[in-house]
Amino acid sequence: MKVFVDSQLCQGHTLCSMIAPDSFELSDIDGTSSPVTEVVAPAQQDAVREAAHSCPEQAISIEE
Amino acid sequence: MVAGSGRKKNRYHFDRHTPEYRLQFEKTTEEMQAKCPMAWTETYDGHWVAAGSKEVFELARCPVVSNDHDINGERSGYQGITIPKARRASVVRGGILEMDDPEHRTYRNVLNPYLSPAAVKRWEPFVDEIVRASLDEKIEDGRIDFVDDLANIVPAVLTLAMMGIELKKWAIYSEPAHASVYTPEHSPDADRVAEMNRQMGIDLLTNMLEIKENPRPGMVNALLQLRIEGQPAPDMEILGNLGLIIGGGFDTTTALTAHALEWLSEHPDQRELLSREREVLLNPATEEFLRFYTPAPGDGRTFAEDIEVEGTQFKEGERLWISWAMANRDPSVFDEPNTIVLDRKGNRHFSFGIGVHRCVGSNVARSVFKSMVTAVLDRMPDYRCDPEGTEHYETVGVIQGMKHLPATFTPGPRLGPGLDETLDKLQRICDEQELARPITERKEAAVID
Repeated sequence: MKVFVDSQLCQGHTLCSMIAPDSFELSDIDGTSSPVTEVVAPAQQDAVREAAHSCPEQAISIEE
Repeated sequence: MVAGSGRKKNRYHFDRHTPEYRLQFEKTTEEMQAKCPMAWTETYDGHWVAAGSKEVFELARCPVVSNDHDINGERSGYQGITIPKARRASVVRGGILEMDDPEHRTYRNVLNPYLSPAAVKRWEPFVDEIVRASLDEKIEDGRIDFVDDLANIVPAVLTLAMMGIELKKWAIYSEPAHASVYTPEHSPDADRVAEMNRQMGIDLLTNMLEIKENPRPGMVNALLQLRIEGQPAPDMEILGNLGLIIGGGFDTTTALTAHALEWLSEHPDQRELLSREREVLLNPATEEFLRFYTPAPGDGRTFAEDIEVEGTQFKEGERLWISWAMANRDPSVFDEPNTIVLDRKGNRHFSFGIGVHRCVGSNVARSVFKSMVTAVLDRMPDYRCDPEGTEHYETVGVIQGMKHLPATFTPGPRLGPGLDETLDKLQRICDEQELARPITERKEAAVID
Protein backbone atom coordinates (compact mmCIF):
# COMPACT_ATOMS: atom_id res chain seq x y z
CA MET A 1 0.00 0.00 0.00
CA LYS A 2 1.22 3.47 -0.96
CA VAL A 3 -0.01 6.85 0.28
CA PHE A 4 0.21 10.31 -1.30
CA VAL A 5 -0.71 13.79 -0.10
CA ASP A 6 -1.56 16.28 -2.83
CA SER A 7 0.30 19.40 -1.71
CA GLN A 8 -1.95 21.56 -3.91
CA LEU A 9 -5.00 20.39 -1.98
CA CYS A 10 -3.69 19.98 1.58
CA GLN A 11 -4.53 23.01 3.73
CA GLY A 12 -3.03 21.82 7.01
CA HIS A 13 -6.14 20.61 8.83
CA THR A 14 -3.86 18.09 10.67
CA LEU A 15 -6.49 15.38 11.04
CA CYS A 16 -4.30 12.82 9.23
CA SER A 17 -1.44 13.13 11.69
CA MET A 18 -3.91 13.04 14.58
CA ILE A 19 -5.31 9.74 13.28
CA ALA A 20 -2.10 8.20 11.91
CA PRO A 21 0.78 10.00 13.65
CA ASP A 22 3.37 7.47 12.50
CA SER A 23 2.46 7.88 8.84
CA PHE A 24 2.11 11.64 8.32
CA GLU A 25 4.39 14.50 9.30
CA LEU A 26 3.38 18.13 9.42
CA SER A 27 5.31 21.18 8.34
CA ASP A 28 6.53 23.22 11.32
CA ILE A 29 5.69 26.39 9.41
CA ASP A 30 2.10 25.86 8.29
CA GLY A 31 1.00 22.37 9.34
CA THR A 32 0.66 20.97 5.83
CA SER A 33 1.12 17.23 5.67
CA SER A 34 3.34 14.77 3.86
CA PRO A 35 3.67 11.00 4.19
CA VAL A 36 6.58 9.84 6.37
CA THR A 37 7.19 7.12 3.78
CA GLU A 38 5.34 6.45 0.55
CA VAL A 39 5.02 2.73 1.32
CA VAL A 40 2.79 2.14 4.33
CA ALA A 41 3.76 -0.57 6.83
CA PRO A 42 1.02 -3.22 7.32
CA ALA A 43 0.45 -2.19 10.95
CA GLN A 44 -0.40 1.37 9.89
CA GLN A 45 -2.63 0.68 6.91
CA ASP A 46 -5.97 0.86 8.72
CA ALA A 47 -5.08 4.18 10.33
CA VAL A 48 -3.89 5.58 6.99
CA ARG A 49 -7.18 4.55 5.32
CA GLU A 50 -9.08 6.26 8.13
CA ALA A 51 -6.91 9.38 7.72
CA ALA A 52 -7.63 9.49 3.97
CA HIS A 53 -11.32 9.07 4.65
CA SER A 54 -11.29 11.90 7.23
CA CYS A 55 -9.37 14.51 5.22
CA PRO A 56 -11.66 17.54 4.80
CA GLU A 57 -9.92 18.49 1.54
CA GLN A 58 -9.75 14.90 0.19
CA ALA A 59 -6.06 15.50 -0.39
CA ILE A 60 -4.89 11.98 0.52
CA SER A 61 -4.88 9.16 -2.00
CA ILE A 62 -4.04 5.52 -1.51
CA GLU A 63 -2.75 2.87 -3.91
CA GLU A 64 -3.65 -0.56 -2.52
CA MET B 1 -39.37 25.36 -0.33
CA VAL B 2 -40.96 26.86 -3.42
CA ALA B 3 -40.21 25.53 -6.88
CA GLY B 4 -39.72 28.40 -9.31
CA SER B 5 -38.17 28.34 -12.73
CA GLY B 6 -34.81 29.15 -14.31
CA ARG B 7 -31.50 29.32 -12.48
CA LYS B 8 -33.13 30.10 -9.16
CA LYS B 9 -35.74 27.39 -9.35
CA ASN B 10 -34.92 25.96 -5.92
CA ARG B 11 -36.11 28.66 -3.56
CA TYR B 12 -36.05 28.46 0.22
CA HIS B 13 -36.81 31.11 2.81
CA PHE B 14 -33.51 31.13 4.69
CA ASP B 15 -32.88 33.64 7.46
CA ARG B 16 -30.14 32.48 9.79
CA HIS B 17 -30.35 35.64 11.93
CA THR B 18 -33.73 34.72 13.43
CA PRO B 19 -34.20 32.84 16.73
CA GLU B 20 -36.39 30.34 14.81
CA TYR B 21 -33.43 29.32 12.66
CA ARG B 22 -31.53 28.26 15.79
CA LEU B 23 -34.50 26.42 17.23
CA GLN B 24 -35.33 24.63 13.97
CA PHE B 25 -31.79 24.08 12.77
CA GLU B 26 -32.05 20.31 12.38
CA LYS B 27 -35.39 20.46 10.56
CA THR B 28 -34.21 23.23 8.21
CA THR B 29 -31.00 21.35 7.49
CA GLU B 30 -32.80 18.08 6.74
CA GLU B 31 -35.31 19.84 4.50
CA MET B 32 -32.70 21.77 2.53
CA GLN B 33 -30.41 18.79 2.11
CA ALA B 34 -33.28 16.60 0.90
CA LYS B 35 -34.84 19.14 -1.47
CA CYS B 36 -32.46 21.98 -2.24
CA PRO B 37 -28.85 21.54 -1.04
CA MET B 38 -28.19 24.59 -3.24
CA ALA B 39 -30.98 27.12 -2.78
CA TRP B 40 -31.80 30.71 -3.61
CA THR B 41 -33.26 32.79 -0.79
CA GLU B 42 -34.82 36.23 -1.13
CA THR B 43 -33.55 37.39 2.29
CA TYR B 44 -30.93 40.19 2.56
CA ASP B 45 -31.31 41.31 -1.05
CA GLY B 46 -31.22 37.71 -2.24
CA HIS B 47 -28.39 35.22 -1.99
CA TRP B 48 -27.50 31.59 -2.60
CA VAL B 49 -27.25 29.10 0.25
CA ALA B 50 -25.04 26.00 0.06
CA ALA B 51 -26.39 23.51 2.60
CA GLY B 52 -25.13 20.13 1.34
CA SER B 53 -21.64 18.81 1.99
CA LYS B 54 -20.89 18.31 -1.72
CA GLU B 55 -22.09 21.80 -2.67
CA VAL B 56 -20.13 23.39 0.18
CA PHE B 57 -17.05 21.35 -0.75
CA GLU B 58 -17.11 22.44 -4.40
CA LEU B 59 -17.96 26.10 -3.80
CA ALA B 60 -15.60 26.77 -0.89
CA ARG B 61 -12.69 25.58 -3.02
CA CYS B 62 -13.83 27.21 -6.25
CA PRO B 63 -11.28 29.76 -7.54
CA VAL B 64 -13.93 32.23 -8.79
CA VAL B 65 -15.74 32.36 -5.45
CA SER B 66 -14.35 35.47 -3.77
CA ASN B 67 -13.83 36.49 -0.13
CA ASP B 68 -12.85 40.03 -1.08
CA HIS B 69 -14.29 42.94 0.86
CA ASP B 70 -13.80 46.09 -1.18
CA ILE B 71 -14.45 48.64 1.56
CA ASN B 72 -13.63 51.73 -0.51
CA GLY B 73 -15.15 50.62 -3.79
CA GLU B 74 -11.77 50.45 -5.52
CA ARG B 75 -12.16 47.10 -7.25
CA SER B 76 -15.31 45.03 -7.46
CA GLY B 77 -17.44 46.45 -4.65
CA TYR B 78 -17.75 42.96 -3.13
CA GLN B 79 -18.89 42.76 0.48
CA GLY B 80 -16.64 40.14 2.04
CA ILE B 81 -17.84 37.39 4.33
CA THR B 82 -20.86 38.87 6.11
CA ILE B 83 -24.46 38.62 4.87
CA PRO B 84 -25.93 41.15 5.30
CA LYS B 85 -22.99 43.52 5.51
CA ALA B 86 -22.52 44.27 9.23
CA ARG B 87 -22.37 47.95 10.12
CA ARG B 88 -19.21 47.45 12.13
CA ALA B 89 -17.61 45.69 9.15
CA SER B 90 -17.87 48.69 6.87
CA VAL B 91 -14.80 50.56 8.15
CA VAL B 92 -12.06 47.94 8.30
CA ARG B 93 -11.67 44.88 6.07
CA GLY B 94 -11.64 41.59 7.97
CA GLY B 95 -8.00 40.71 7.41
CA ILE B 96 -7.04 37.61 5.43
CA LEU B 97 -10.57 36.26 5.63
CA GLU B 98 -11.73 39.10 3.39
CA MET B 99 -8.87 38.86 0.90
CA ASP B 100 -8.33 36.68 -2.14
CA ASP B 101 -5.03 35.26 -3.30
CA PRO B 102 -2.37 36.45 -3.94
CA GLU B 103 -2.98 39.21 -1.36
CA HIS B 104 -4.37 36.70 1.15
CA ARG B 105 -1.30 34.48 0.83
CA THR B 106 1.08 37.39 1.46
CA TYR B 107 -0.47 38.13 4.85
CA ARG B 108 -1.21 34.53 5.76
CA ASN B 109 2.43 33.52 5.29
CA VAL B 110 3.26 36.03 8.01
CA LEU B 111 0.82 34.50 10.51
CA ASN B 112 1.38 30.77 9.82
CA PRO B 113 4.70 30.39 11.73
CA TYR B 114 2.98 31.72 14.87
CA LEU B 115 -0.03 29.41 14.61
CA SER B 116 1.20 26.13 13.11
CA PRO B 117 0.83 22.91 15.15
CA ALA B 118 4.51 23.07 16.14
CA ALA B 119 4.22 26.76 17.06
CA VAL B 120 1.14 26.21 19.20
CA LYS B 121 2.60 23.17 20.95
CA ARG B 122 5.25 25.42 22.55
CA TRP B 123 2.50 27.29 24.38
CA GLU B 124 0.88 24.24 26.04
CA PRO B 125 2.48 24.68 29.51
CA PHE B 126 1.51 28.36 29.37
CA VAL B 127 -2.11 27.52 28.49
CA ASP B 128 -2.34 24.89 31.23
CA GLU B 129 -1.19 27.51 33.73
CA ILE B 130 -3.91 30.02 32.74
CA VAL B 131 -6.46 27.21 33.01
CA ARG B 132 -5.10 26.18 36.41
CA ALA B 133 -5.34 29.72 37.76
CA SER B 134 -8.84 30.29 36.34
CA LEU B 135 -10.10 27.13 38.01
CA ASP B 136 -8.28 27.95 41.26
CA GLU B 137 -10.33 31.17 41.48
CA LYS B 138 -13.47 29.01 41.81
CA ILE B 139 -12.38 25.58 43.01
CA GLU B 140 -13.04 26.27 46.71
CA ASP B 141 -16.51 27.72 46.04
CA GLY B 142 -18.08 24.72 44.36
CA ARG B 143 -19.63 27.09 41.79
CA ILE B 144 -18.32 28.33 38.45
CA ASP B 145 -19.63 29.92 35.29
CA PHE B 146 -17.74 28.02 32.60
CA VAL B 147 -18.16 30.90 30.16
CA ASP B 148 -17.31 33.88 32.38
CA ASP B 149 -14.76 32.22 34.64
CA LEU B 150 -12.93 29.91 32.23
CA ALA B 151 -13.75 29.84 28.52
CA ASN B 152 -13.76 33.63 28.10
CA ILE B 153 -10.43 34.02 29.88
CA VAL B 154 -8.07 31.40 28.47
CA PRO B 155 -8.45 32.05 24.71
CA ALA B 156 -8.26 35.81 25.34
CA VAL B 157 -5.05 35.67 27.41
CA LEU B 158 -3.33 33.29 25.00
CA THR B 159 -4.33 35.28 21.92
CA LEU B 160 -2.96 38.51 23.42
CA ALA B 161 0.25 36.72 24.41
CA MET B 162 0.75 35.50 20.85
CA MET B 163 0.06 38.96 19.49
CA GLY B 164 2.54 40.60 21.87
CA ILE B 165 -0.04 42.55 23.89
CA GLU B 166 0.02 42.71 27.69
CA LEU B 167 -1.83 39.79 29.28
CA LYS B 168 -3.46 41.85 32.02
CA LYS B 169 -5.41 43.72 29.35
CA TRP B 170 -7.40 40.63 28.44
CA ALA B 171 -10.71 42.00 29.77
CA ILE B 172 -10.51 45.14 27.58
CA TYR B 173 -10.49 42.79 24.61
CA SER B 174 -12.59 39.92 25.81
CA GLU B 175 -15.80 41.73 26.71
CA PRO B 176 -16.34 43.58 23.43
CA ALA B 177 -15.15 40.57 21.40
CA HIS B 178 -17.99 38.47 22.85
CA ALA B 179 -20.63 41.15 23.33
CA SER B 180 -20.37 42.47 19.79
CA VAL B 181 -21.19 38.98 18.51
CA TYR B 182 -24.36 38.49 20.54
CA THR B 183 -25.63 42.08 20.79
CA PRO B 184 -27.86 43.00 17.86
CA GLU B 185 -27.48 46.51 16.49
CA HIS B 186 -31.01 47.46 17.63
CA SER B 187 -30.36 46.29 21.21
CA PRO B 188 -30.53 48.87 24.06
CA ASP B 189 -27.07 47.60 25.02
CA ALA B 190 -25.60 48.35 21.57
CA ASP B 191 -24.18 51.75 22.58
CA ARG B 192 -22.35 50.31 25.56
CA VAL B 193 -20.92 47.53 23.39
CA ALA B 194 -19.90 50.04 20.72
CA GLU B 195 -18.09 52.06 23.40
CA MET B 196 -16.24 48.95 24.63
CA ASN B 197 -15.30 48.20 21.04
CA ARG B 198 -13.95 51.73 20.69
CA GLN B 199 -11.81 51.27 23.83
CA MET B 200 -10.48 48.00 22.43
CA GLY B 201 -9.70 49.67 19.10
CA ILE B 202 -7.81 52.45 20.86
CA ASP B 203 -5.76 49.96 22.88
CA LEU B 204 -4.99 47.95 19.78
CA LEU B 205 -3.88 51.04 17.91
CA THR B 206 -1.78 52.17 20.90
CA ASN B 207 -0.08 48.79 20.96
CA MET B 208 0.56 48.94 17.24
CA LEU B 209 2.24 52.34 17.54
CA GLU B 210 4.28 51.22 20.57
CA ILE B 211 5.48 48.10 18.78
CA LYS B 212 6.29 50.11 15.65
CA GLU B 213 8.60 52.27 17.80
CA ASN B 214 10.00 49.47 19.96
CA PRO B 215 9.53 46.08 18.30
CA ARG B 216 8.67 43.16 20.60
CA PRO B 217 7.89 39.59 19.52
CA GLY B 218 4.39 38.64 18.41
CA MET B 219 1.96 38.78 15.53
CA VAL B 220 1.52 42.56 15.77
CA ASN B 221 5.23 42.97 15.10
CA ALA B 222 5.17 40.36 12.35
CA LEU B 223 2.50 42.29 10.46
CA LEU B 224 4.36 45.56 11.02
CA GLN B 225 7.56 44.03 9.64
CA LEU B 226 5.84 42.70 6.52
CA ARG B 227 7.02 44.35 3.30
CA ILE B 228 5.01 44.19 0.09
CA GLU B 229 7.12 45.23 -2.89
CA GLY B 230 9.38 47.02 -0.44
CA GLN B 231 6.57 48.90 1.30
CA PRO B 232 5.06 48.28 4.76
CA ALA B 233 1.51 46.93 4.77
CA PRO B 234 -1.16 49.64 5.12
CA ASP B 235 -2.05 50.30 8.78
CA MET B 236 -5.71 49.60 8.09
CA GLU B 237 -4.92 46.13 6.71
CA ILE B 238 -2.76 45.39 9.76
CA LEU B 239 -5.60 46.52 12.03
CA GLY B 240 -8.05 44.39 10.08
CA ASN B 241 -5.90 41.31 10.54
CA LEU B 242 -5.44 42.02 14.25
CA GLY B 243 -9.21 42.40 14.55
CA LEU B 244 -9.64 39.07 12.79
CA ILE B 245 -7.19 37.37 15.16
CA ILE B 246 -9.18 38.70 18.13
CA GLY B 247 -12.59 38.00 16.60
CA GLY B 248 -11.52 34.54 15.48
CA GLY B 249 -9.51 33.66 18.54
CA PHE B 250 -11.90 34.59 21.34
CA ASP B 251 -15.58 33.82 20.88
CA THR B 252 -15.29 30.64 18.79
CA THR B 253 -13.21 28.62 21.24
CA THR B 254 -15.40 29.87 24.08
CA ALA B 255 -18.47 28.64 22.19
CA LEU B 256 -17.00 25.21 21.50
CA THR B 257 -15.87 24.68 25.09
CA ALA B 258 -19.15 25.81 26.63
CA HIS B 259 -21.23 23.57 24.38
CA ALA B 260 -19.01 20.56 25.01
CA LEU B 261 -19.09 21.07 28.79
CA GLU B 262 -22.86 21.46 28.69
CA TRP B 263 -23.28 18.22 26.71
CA LEU B 264 -20.88 16.33 28.99
CA SER B 265 -22.91 17.48 32.00
CA GLU B 266 -26.03 16.07 30.38
CA HIS B 267 -24.25 12.79 29.58
CA PRO B 268 -22.31 11.85 32.74
CA ASP B 269 -21.57 8.32 31.50
CA GLN B 270 -19.96 9.73 28.35
CA ARG B 271 -18.09 12.25 30.48
CA GLU B 272 -16.61 9.48 32.59
CA LEU B 273 -15.72 7.52 29.50
CA LEU B 274 -14.00 10.53 27.92
CA SER B 275 -12.07 11.21 31.11
CA ARG B 276 -11.00 7.60 31.55
CA GLU B 277 -10.06 6.96 27.93
CA ARG B 278 -8.83 10.41 27.01
CA GLU B 279 -5.62 9.01 25.49
CA VAL B 280 -7.66 7.59 22.61
CA LEU B 281 -10.89 9.58 22.86
CA LEU B 282 -9.86 13.20 23.37
CA ASN B 283 -8.82 13.81 19.75
CA PRO B 284 -11.88 12.29 18.05
CA ALA B 285 -14.21 13.77 20.70
CA THR B 286 -12.76 17.23 20.04
CA GLU B 287 -13.41 16.82 16.32
CA GLU B 288 -16.92 15.57 17.04
CA PHE B 289 -17.75 18.58 19.24
CA LEU B 290 -16.33 20.78 16.48
CA ARG B 291 -18.53 19.06 13.90
CA PHE B 292 -21.70 19.07 15.95
CA TYR B 293 -21.50 22.59 17.39
CA THR B 294 -19.68 24.31 14.48
CA PRO B 295 -18.85 27.54 16.39
CA ALA B 296 -18.47 29.61 13.20
CA PRO B 297 -21.50 28.35 11.27
CA GLY B 298 -20.60 29.65 7.83
CA ASP B 299 -19.16 32.38 5.65
CA GLY B 300 -20.41 34.69 2.95
CA ARG B 301 -18.79 34.83 -0.47
CA THR B 302 -19.33 36.56 -3.83
CA PHE B 303 -19.15 35.02 -7.30
CA ALA B 304 -16.39 36.81 -9.21
CA GLU B 305 -17.38 35.26 -12.57
CA ASP B 306 -20.32 33.49 -14.16
CA ILE B 307 -19.90 29.80 -13.46
CA GLU B 308 -21.79 26.51 -13.28
CA VAL B 309 -21.17 24.31 -10.23
CA GLU B 310 -23.02 21.07 -9.42
CA GLY B 311 -25.65 21.87 -12.05
CA THR B 312 -26.48 25.41 -10.90
CA GLN B 313 -25.51 28.50 -12.89
CA PHE B 314 -24.26 31.45 -10.88
CA LYS B 315 -23.76 35.01 -12.11
CA GLU B 316 -20.91 37.37 -11.30
CA GLY B 317 -21.75 39.56 -8.30
CA GLU B 318 -24.26 37.16 -6.75
CA ARG B 319 -23.77 36.43 -3.09
CA LEU B 320 -23.46 33.02 -1.46
CA TRP B 321 -23.75 31.71 2.10
CA ILE B 322 -21.60 28.63 2.66
CA SER B 323 -22.97 26.75 5.65
CA TRP B 324 -20.28 24.74 7.39
CA ALA B 325 -22.83 23.94 10.12
CA MET B 326 -25.36 22.40 7.75
CA ALA B 327 -22.72 20.55 5.71
CA ASN B 328 -21.55 19.05 9.00
CA ARG B 329 -24.95 17.36 9.38
CA ASP B 330 -25.13 15.90 5.88
CA PRO B 331 -26.31 12.26 6.16
CA SER B 332 -24.46 11.36 2.95
CA VAL B 333 -21.18 11.98 4.82
CA PHE B 334 -22.11 11.35 8.48
CA ASP B 335 -24.13 8.43 9.86
CA GLU B 336 -26.60 9.69 12.43
CA PRO B 337 -25.54 13.28 11.79
CA ASN B 338 -27.60 14.72 14.66
CA THR B 339 -26.00 12.49 17.29
CA ILE B 340 -22.72 13.10 19.09
CA VAL B 341 -20.51 10.03 18.72
CA LEU B 342 -17.29 10.65 20.65
CA ASP B 343 -15.23 8.18 18.62
CA ARG B 344 -16.80 9.00 15.24
CA LYS B 345 -14.84 7.69 12.25
CA GLY B 346 -14.39 9.51 8.95
CA ASN B 347 -15.21 12.82 10.59
CA ARG B 348 -14.62 14.99 7.55
CA HIS B 349 -16.10 18.11 9.14
CA PHE B 350 -15.78 21.64 7.79
CA SER B 351 -15.83 23.53 11.09
CA PHE B 352 -12.59 25.33 10.30
CA GLY B 353 -13.68 25.99 6.74
CA ILE B 354 -12.01 24.37 3.75
CA GLY B 355 -9.81 25.57 0.94
CA VAL B 356 -7.14 28.26 1.25
CA HIS B 357 -9.06 30.03 4.03
CA ARG B 358 -8.88 27.11 6.51
CA CYS B 359 -9.03 28.76 9.94
CA VAL B 360 -5.49 29.96 10.58
CA GLY B 361 -6.05 29.53 14.34
CA SER B 362 -7.42 25.98 14.22
CA ASN B 363 -4.45 24.57 16.12
CA VAL B 364 -4.84 27.17 18.85
CA ALA B 365 -8.55 26.38 19.18
CA ARG B 366 -7.99 22.65 19.58
CA SER B 367 -5.15 23.05 22.01
CA VAL B 368 -6.95 25.54 24.27
CA PHE B 369 -10.17 23.51 24.17
CA LYS B 370 -8.37 20.32 25.22
CA SER B 371 -6.54 22.02 28.06
CA MET B 372 -9.76 23.50 29.47
CA VAL B 373 -11.87 20.36 29.13
CA THR B 374 -9.31 17.97 30.60
CA ALA B 375 -8.65 20.30 33.55
CA VAL B 376 -12.37 20.45 34.29
CA LEU B 377 -12.63 16.65 34.05
CA ASP B 378 -9.74 16.30 36.48
CA ARG B 379 -10.64 18.95 39.01
CA MET B 380 -14.45 19.11 38.84
CA PRO B 381 -15.32 15.57 37.76
CA ASP B 382 -18.86 15.68 39.18
CA TYR B 383 -19.83 19.15 37.89
CA ARG B 384 -23.45 19.74 36.94
CA CYS B 385 -24.51 22.61 34.72
CA ASP B 386 -27.52 24.60 35.83
CA PRO B 387 -30.04 24.76 32.96
CA GLU B 388 -31.87 27.65 34.69
CA GLY B 389 -28.84 29.91 34.49
CA THR B 390 -27.60 28.70 31.10
CA GLU B 391 -27.89 31.29 28.39
CA HIS B 392 -27.35 30.49 24.72
CA TYR B 393 -27.02 33.19 22.08
CA GLU B 394 -30.51 33.97 20.91
CA THR B 395 -29.42 33.79 17.28
CA VAL B 396 -26.58 31.82 15.70
CA GLY B 397 -26.10 33.71 12.45
CA VAL B 398 -22.54 34.73 13.32
CA ILE B 399 -21.33 32.46 16.15
CA GLN B 400 -23.15 29.57 17.80
CA GLY B 401 -22.19 30.64 21.29
CA MET B 402 -23.19 30.88 24.91
CA LYS B 403 -23.34 33.85 27.28
CA HIS B 404 -23.43 31.90 30.53
CA LEU B 405 -22.98 28.33 31.68
CA PRO B 406 -23.13 28.15 35.48
CA ALA B 407 -22.33 24.87 37.20
CA THR B 408 -21.89 23.40 40.68
CA PHE B 409 -19.38 20.75 41.79
CA THR B 410 -17.78 19.29 44.91
CA PRO B 411 -15.24 21.92 46.07
CA GLY B 412 -11.56 21.06 45.94
CA PRO B 413 -8.20 22.55 46.98
CA ARG B 414 -6.41 25.35 45.16
CA LEU B 415 -3.21 24.33 43.40
CA GLY B 416 -1.55 27.74 43.12
CA PRO B 417 -1.99 31.50 43.02
CA GLY B 418 -5.04 33.19 41.54
CA LEU B 419 -5.44 34.70 38.10
CA ASP B 420 -3.93 38.18 38.57
CA GLU B 421 -0.77 36.90 40.23
CA THR B 422 -0.50 34.16 37.62
CA LEU B 423 -0.86 36.60 34.74
CA ASP B 424 1.97 38.72 36.21
CA LYS B 425 4.15 35.64 36.36
CA LEU B 426 3.18 34.52 32.85
CA GLN B 427 3.90 38.00 31.52
CA ARG B 428 7.41 37.81 32.94
CA ILE B 429 7.89 34.34 31.42
CA CYS B 430 6.55 35.55 28.10
CA ASP B 431 9.02 38.45 28.08
CA GLU B 432 12.05 36.55 29.40
CA GLN B 433 11.62 33.52 27.15
CA GLU B 434 10.30 35.52 24.18
CA LEU B 435 7.51 33.02 23.73
CA ALA B 436 5.77 35.09 21.08
CA ARG B 437 8.55 34.56 18.56
CA PRO B 438 7.58 32.50 15.47
CA ILE B 439 8.50 28.80 15.23
CA THR B 440 11.25 29.75 12.78
CA GLU B 441 13.05 31.64 15.57
CA ARG B 442 12.19 29.66 18.68
CA LYS B 443 11.55 25.91 18.89
CA GLU B 444 11.51 25.29 22.66
CA ALA B 445 8.34 24.97 24.71
CA ALA B 446 7.52 27.52 27.40
CA VAL B 447 9.01 26.71 30.81
CA ILE B 448 6.78 27.64 33.74
CA ASP B 449 9.05 28.22 36.75
